[in-house]
Amino acid sequence: MKNYRLNTEIPKIMHIDLNSAFASAEQQAWPSLRGRPMGVTNRLSKECCVIAASYEAKALGIKVGTRLSEAKALCPDFIMLETDPTKYTHMYKGLISIMQDYSSHIKMKSIDEGVIDFHPKYSTEKRPLIDVGYEIKQRVYQTLGRHMRINVGIGTNRFLAKMAAGWHKPNGLDQLDHKNLIPFYKSIELEDITGIADAFGARLRAHGIFTPMQFLEANEQVLWRRVFKSIDGHYWKQRLTGFEIDDHPTKLGMVGRQWVLPKASHNDEWLRSCLHFLTTTAGVKLRYRNVEARGASVWISFNAGGGWRDKQMFHMPFYTDADIWLHVSRLFDHRPKHMDVRTMGMYLYELTPSTRSQLSLMDDVIKAGEITKAVDEINDFYGSFTVFTADTLTGTKTVKQKIPFGGTEYFELLLKRA
Amino acid sequence: MDPTVQINERVDVVCVFKKQGEVFSLCVPVKMRWHGREIELSELALRHPTVAGKRMIHVFHMGDGVNGYRLEFDAEALTWTLVCLISGEDHA
Repeated sequence: MKNYRLNTEIPKIMHIDLNSAFASAEQQAWPSLRGRPMGVTNRLSKECCVIAASYEAKALGIKVGTRLSEAKALCPDFIMLETDPTKYTHMYKGLISIMQDYSSHIKMKSIDEGVIDFHPKYSTEKRPLIDVGYEIKQRVYQTLGRHMRINVGIGTNRFLAKMAAGWHKPNGLDQLDHKNLIPFYKSIELEDITGIADAFGARLRAHGIFTPMQFLEANEQVLWRRVFKSIDGHYWKQRLTGFEIDDHPTKLGMVGRQWVLPKASHNDEWLRSCLHFLTTTAGVKLRYRNVEARGASVWISFNAGGGWRDKQMFHMPFYTDADIWLHVSRLFDHRPKHMDVRTMGMYLYELTPSTRSQLSLMDDVIKAGEITKAVDEINDFYGSFTVFTADTLTGTKTVKQKIPFGGTEYFELLLKRA
Repeated sequence: MDPTVQINERVDVVCVFKKQGEVFSLCVPVKMRWHGREIELSELALRHPTVAGKRMIHVFHMGDGVNGYRLEFDAEALTWTLVCLISGEDHA
């Protein structure tokens, strides 16, 4: 038998994934929606997209990204609800609470999936992780509701644990290790591999790699020098053979907000108020992460197509709402003002750890910092936007807080302000 | 499209408080009176807390065998509100 140099360690990484999390949460909450094709979207409109579909909808070909009109064409009975952040927050907290009972080494990958690392002390001889997986499933049914189903995957690294979690959806529990990895790779397609989307798939095919087995057997130097042309080639070799490469903290690169306007507009006063609102919420995130920014950027996409963006670096780091808005609004003033805006956003970059605790020599800097701190504390206690600048009044009524995808860095903040 | 019917009306509720069990089901509304109609609530589908400013709100998603109801209990004002419902009739 060929030696693939697989990791032969006992698997101790568990990936937990709530199946169709948002749609399942709605079906759990609304008995009359169970068994029906339904989905959720961030803002209901004629052309809104499904951001989570129930399994009944998925069976009809309705998936994430399907427009409501397409979904209705596929299934006239299709039901679409708006997202309810507090409900998903509850599910998220419940899942974390269960996971924390098994290890202090847990990491939420997004709002509906997380990883438990059972290294280094857990003994699988006393109790196999498969048993633990079944117990977690049972606890999810009991505490979150019997319509909340999870997939559990166990592997020697995070990559294989996630692959195992996706093996038998919904409601599966699988383990991938050196004993069954080769048959598993032989049973799947290249694009079934987590992280290999169309672009990567095309790149691999261009180098004669058409199957997961060919990917596994590929020479590491070829992957490094020719296919990925970076150290990613080495990383992929490690992942595929079951060695850990993804257990590292992610660096915070930028903080921002974006927003799709309900109706395209070039009304300067209205746009400025909404952008000011976005800027204020980004400022809250910035201070929540205890960092300061040195760069600001604003971008716009126009209704007629195309877009505009501008960014600038500043000598002094900034974190107060007043400073952030000063920089962002100056950039925004340079946009083509006659164009109808469809989407706009801003972000702050070049983030550095906060120096707020250090005393400043300038009185006005201290005052600005104290005002920002006082406003944040009031809003924390009495609810977000209890105190806000008058300029953001329109924005507070127009822009809605949506469910964050991907990272969960701001989820605790969202909980506080829900 | 969206079958949710917004109500936002105060209602009378009969509630059972259990002495033990999962946090999920320690407090269960069993009956409510809305517009003179008494509705038996047979299923506690989901309960979760939320806040409105500094006020604690407990959200109860209930079912009566046909329809689903979202009831909110304001822990400061001690009031029950029927926020919305989704009918179990055909949504087509």
